[in-house]
Amino acid sequence: MYSIGIDVGGTFTDFLLINDAGESTVYKNLTTPSDPSEGTFNGLNQMAEDKGISLPEFMGQVKLIVHGTTITTNATITGEGAKTGFVTTKGFRDVLGMRRGVREEMYDCKQSPPPPLVPRYLTATVEERLDCEGKVVTPLNRDDVLKAAELFKSEGVEAVAVSTLFSFFNPEHERAIRDILQEELPGIYISISSEVLPQVRAYERHSTTALNAYVGPILARYLEKLQVRLKSENFKGTLLIMQSNGGVMSPDLAMRYASNTLLSGPASGPAAGVFYSESQGVKDIITVDMGGTSFDICLIKDGKPGFTVEGSVAGNRLASPMTAIHTIGAGGGSIAWIDAGGILRVGPKSASSDPGPICYGRGGQQPAVTDSNLMLGYLDPDFFHGGNIKLDYEKTYSAFEEMGKKLGLSALETAAGIYQIVNANMAAGVREVSVRRGYDPREFAMVVAGGAGPIHAAAIATELGVSLIIVPRESSVFCAAGMLISDLKHDFVRTYNEPVRKHTSAGGRQDLDRLAGLYNEMYSEAIKTLADEGVSKDRVHVRYGADMRYLGQLNDITVHWEDRSIEDVIDGLEDIFHKRHDTLFGYSMPSSSIDFMNLRVTVIGVTDKPSFGKGSFKGTDPSYALKGKRKAYFNGEFVETPVYDGLLMGNGNKLEGPAIVEQPTTTIIVTPEFKLVCDEYDNYVLSPILKAY
Amino acid sequence: MNNEIKVDPILVAVIGNRLEAITKEMGETMLRTSRSPIFSEAQDFVTAIFDRHGRLVAQTAYIPILMVGLHFAIKSMADHFKGDINEGDVYVLNDPFKGNTHPPDVNIARPIFYNGELQFWAITKGHQADIGGGGVCGYNPNSTTIYEECLCIPPSRLYHKGEYQKDVWNLIMSNIFLRELVEGDFSCQVGACTIADRNLQSLMQKYGIDVIYQAIEEIFDASERQLRTKIGELADGKYYAERFMDHDGVNKDKLIKVAADVEVKGEEVIIDLSKSDPQVAGYVNSSIANTHSACYLALIIVVEPHVRFNEGAMRPVKIIAPEGSVVNARHPAPTTCCTITTGSVLMEIIWLALAPAAPHTVQAGWARWCNPATMGFNPRTGRSFADIHWLGKGGGGATEGYDGWDHIGVVVNVGGSRAPDPEIHQMVDPYFVLDYELWCDSAGAGKWRGGLGVIYRWRIDAPNIPCAVFGSGNRDETVAFGLEGGKPGIKHNLRIVKANGEIIPIDSESLYHLSTGDIVEQYSSGGGGFGNPYERSEELVLLDVRNGVVSVEKAKEDYGVVINPVTMEIDRKLTDSIRG
Repeated sequence: MYSIGIDVGGTFTDFLLINDAGESTVYKNLTTPSDPSEGTFNGLNQMAEDKGISLPEFMGQVKLIVHGTTITTNATITGEGAKTGFVTTKGFRDVLGMRRGVREEMYDCKQSPPPPLVPRYLTATVEERLDCEGKVVTPLNRDDVLKAAELFKSEGVEAVAVSTLFSFFNPEHERAIRDILQEELPGIYISISSEVLPQVRAYERHSTTALNAYVGPILARYLEKLQVRLKSENFKGTLLIMQSNGGVMSPDLAMRYASNTLLSGPASGPAAGVFYSESQGVKDIITVDMGGTSFDICLIKDGKPGFTVEGSVAGNRLASPMTAIHTIGAGGGSIAWIDAGGILRVGPKSASSDPGPICYGRGGQQPAVTDSNLMLGYLDPDFFHGGNIKLDYEKTYSAFEEMGKKLGLSALETAAGIYQIVNANMAAGVREVSVRRGYDPREFAMVVAGGAGPIHAAAIATELGVSLIIVPRESSVFCAAGMLISDLKHDFVRTYNEPVRKHTSAGGRQDLDRLAGLYNEMYSEAIKTLADEGVSKDRVHVRYGADMRYLGQLNDITVHWEDRSIEDVIDGLEDIFHKRHDTLFGYSMPSSSIDFMNLRVTVIGVTDKPSFGKGSFKGTDPSYALKGKRKAYFNGEFVETPVYDGLLMGNGNKLEGPAIVEQPTTTIIVTPEFKLVCDEYDNYVLSPILKAY
Repeated sequence: MNNEIKVDPILVAVIGNRLEAITKEMGETMLRTSRSPIFSEAQDFVTAIFDRHGRLVAQTAYIPILMVGLHFAIKSMADHFKGDINEGDVYVLNDPFKGNTHPPDVNIARPIFYNGELQFWAITKGHQADIGGGGVCGYNPNSTTIYEECLCIPPSRLYHKGEYQKDVWNLIMSNIFLRELVEGDFSCQVGACTIADRNLQSLMQKYGIDVIYQAIEEIFDASERQLRTKIGELADGKYYAERFMDHDGVNKDKLIKVAADVEVKGEEVIIDLSKSDPQVAGYVNSSIANTHSACYLALIIVVEPHVRFNEGAMRPVKIIAPEGSVVNARHPAPTTCCTITTGSVLMEIIWLALAPAAPHTVQAGWARWCNPATMGFNPRTGRSFADIHWLGKGGGGATEGYDGWDHIGVVVNVGGSRAPDPEIHQMVDPYFVLDYELWCDSAGAGKWRGGLGVIYRWRIDAPNIPCAVFGSGNRDETVAFGLEGGKPGIKHNLRIVKANGEIIPIDSESLYHLSTGDIVEQYSSGGGGFGNPYERSEELVLLDVRNGVVSVEKAKEDYGVVINPVTMEIDRKLTDSIRG
């Protein structure tokens, strides 16, 4: 039997196929944007072909498909989501559209706000009102809802989002509105905020709910079609969908909570990072994924990635919990430029794949990071993407010469400078998720993914003092691998704004029952959700959280705990909060009172995971894999550097820098300061020769 | 300018980025942990690093109006403590006559040492929710001296050689209504400086002092070059503009003039404010720090919004503000409202004056700020509260090619201040918000129209709430101006409907009392338009009408587009006959 991870990206669809013996095969296909399932089936067909069997015969042997899709993300970015209507409280028509009255690039007046998800004329307000404790002040005016339905019908709206004030305390009105709309507009896709994100902060909740409606019909159509086709090709296994929170979910839930897939692109990376670092016995890792335009970073402490509720897609806020992945504009395509003051800068603008860097020879004019990697000898002009793309050295050199003149540097010094600056930018990005959050990056291992990542990994690690780098063999299909080992995961939230002290022993445990009641409510809902997905109770893990803040603060810190009830942990919560606050922000105020803001429950349903097989021992000496030598630039000079064929290397191989290891879609630069070992799963592990730091 | 490169340009870029990143990291502490919505929602603060000579090296101005002027505060503290500046010291200052912008802004700075020698200063300045005095959140429209405005803090030590100065803290905090909140935000500012210290230590360890200082000189030169190049692209000439404030809160029937002669000469700009009115009785007098800040802010937005603001960027600009004038008042003049009211007018006159020199980058006027500050006790929560009502922010001005943004004011923050969440607002304060949405027809018409203002109505559910309304824009002379044929915005319309039905009109710079059952109704205006409204595309006018932000009547009157209110179709024939 087989398990398949399928990651549909912007350019490529990545596949990882694993059999029960743990043998894995990588497939990579061009994505088919008009109907992404085409590209998916192209890959599946190829697998069947390689096995010499028909597609139905092959699919009959597939027990699990985990699918990551950016179809919702793309629809939002290109403005091609469903035509959506919005219903909210009378008098508050523009909370969604005003976006809290902020212009992110404040000094630059030459810009327009992002196009609205819902135009104002499709935003209907209805008479109804709850007070700030959720009590009904003005009952719902059903006629207003009927009028809204009329408007949506005449405008041909495909989806409706409903989000009214304080509905997170009392969903009664939102549910009534939904029921009327369902009756009046049969078959329409409806999202209500008390289901999607029952949490305080109107704009953030409205926006998340509107996004859910905006992409819901698109994802539903896609998944329905995909399931029908899989079934007709004899697939009888389980299909799971990747979410932004790093977990997976059933297709049914995905259709209802489509917005949970919006930032799922890189979300399985952390799971892959945890998996690949297990062989090294480390649980504190930083995953970095460097592609063409961006550099994604995730810090994982004790095997658990952080999460955030501060996402945004095409300028729209997404406030449901998602894996905290920090993205900066640094990739192989990042363009180098000289600012008006004469200072060399790199990115965030990218040459992307079209026209691409100069060396692609497709019309790119400005030096990009990939170009400097070519100049420095890190890339082989004849073996880029396994030789499928020939790189133009001459053209690249003259562009660097020209740029160097403006800086008073040689072409080579300019290339080395770009390499150094982009590395420093990426190291700064890593600092943001580590140092800024109170963690010392030197205590973390770095797991490197993406085509361009391993070229820069050793240099970034040196800058940060990181002493263990892991480059997975499947680093180019990292996320597809991560999907296969992700668990079912669902998040629940309740807004609860009370002083913590009221619930502790010191405060007489006054409201503890109410607090515990809310957690129990979420817990029951969580267990039921997993049960509906067929998960038995012994496979359930529960993680609790509380968003807390000092009296009067407007932002929260989330404190987490597991396997213990709120009654057990309540007396220690204040201390944990003070400590965390001090680490994060340089101070704490132990005499100050602390409030709860939101309560959280996350449930994990552990899935069956394919096991990856170990490679056979290949000996310590990799000289059999040596394919040649070339000059590469290290520490200010060109050095004759051995080049190894990564596909031949494996378990046990060792070498010292300077060296270059090449796979068709990945190049690993082992700087003179580093040595490399292949672990028993054939992954590359780099560490400094001398641990000077 | 120094053409000889001593440290390689790559390292300059790396060090420059790192220094800027440190000021952002300081800002993160302020954003995440402050208790005053003025910090964390409105982002009314700035973080910066100065070198040992007191020169601005790097900063992040979360609120643009605070972008310049920290050097006045650093100089003041460095002079005051000269000879007794120690590792582990932390200083505080809010005196506007000793380098501050206005009293609610509190400067907290930390000298940073390396190998026992002073190398840098980390400083944060932020608008505290309360700083004592007779005002509401610091705003006292009746004040005629600084003594009625605030507890005035000259350079003082919060920490001495790492030791908490309990007496100083206690003295300050005992004068403050919202003690716990303000004490928290003082700590938050100290924390931000601590974060900077930690980061600068590792930077100094890595590169050494000499290399960093050489890089700093290069960074200064680069910013100077950048700004000079862009100023050089403006048409040389002498330009003039003047605008008005409603009044000063004390003499309510007298408009106050602020005027600028702006000379563009090659790669330099001279801004001479000498034709402005003499200093006035009320609290709209500007400090020198605030005046510099507003002028630079207006200028760089027109000239080069992407410059790294540091010592070097200040070199090509000269500002003349005579002492004793409303733009550089003498002690003990009250100054609290200068950042919002006077700062806005200063920005407007720089843009208006530069309109002929830079027609493609100037903006039409933004709606002036006019909103209340309130504080008191919330019986529902059992807690005190203080709040500035950002929910009443007006619209932005249009510029060539782009409409103004809705609800984005005030201009001195150029869009950087977030409106609060209306739900948390009602959970913390004893207010029930009745309406919060865009105000139809509030924006100035134009080929590119102004951004819309808002309707914000709220009921008071607690007794005894003092309410200081500060700002301007309630006179014909002070509405947002249009440019290149674009129309101006309209006046704000604010009033109180008392629980007994009595209606009290609200004026700018005035104090009111609110109580249970009163309703405050705010209609905040939109921004000015840019270009002839008859040239706006008919489809955009139709969309505005469908969206209910421009009425059918105004579409015809201002834009010459006739729309059938039932079918929502354009009457081409009539439209053509009007538009010609």
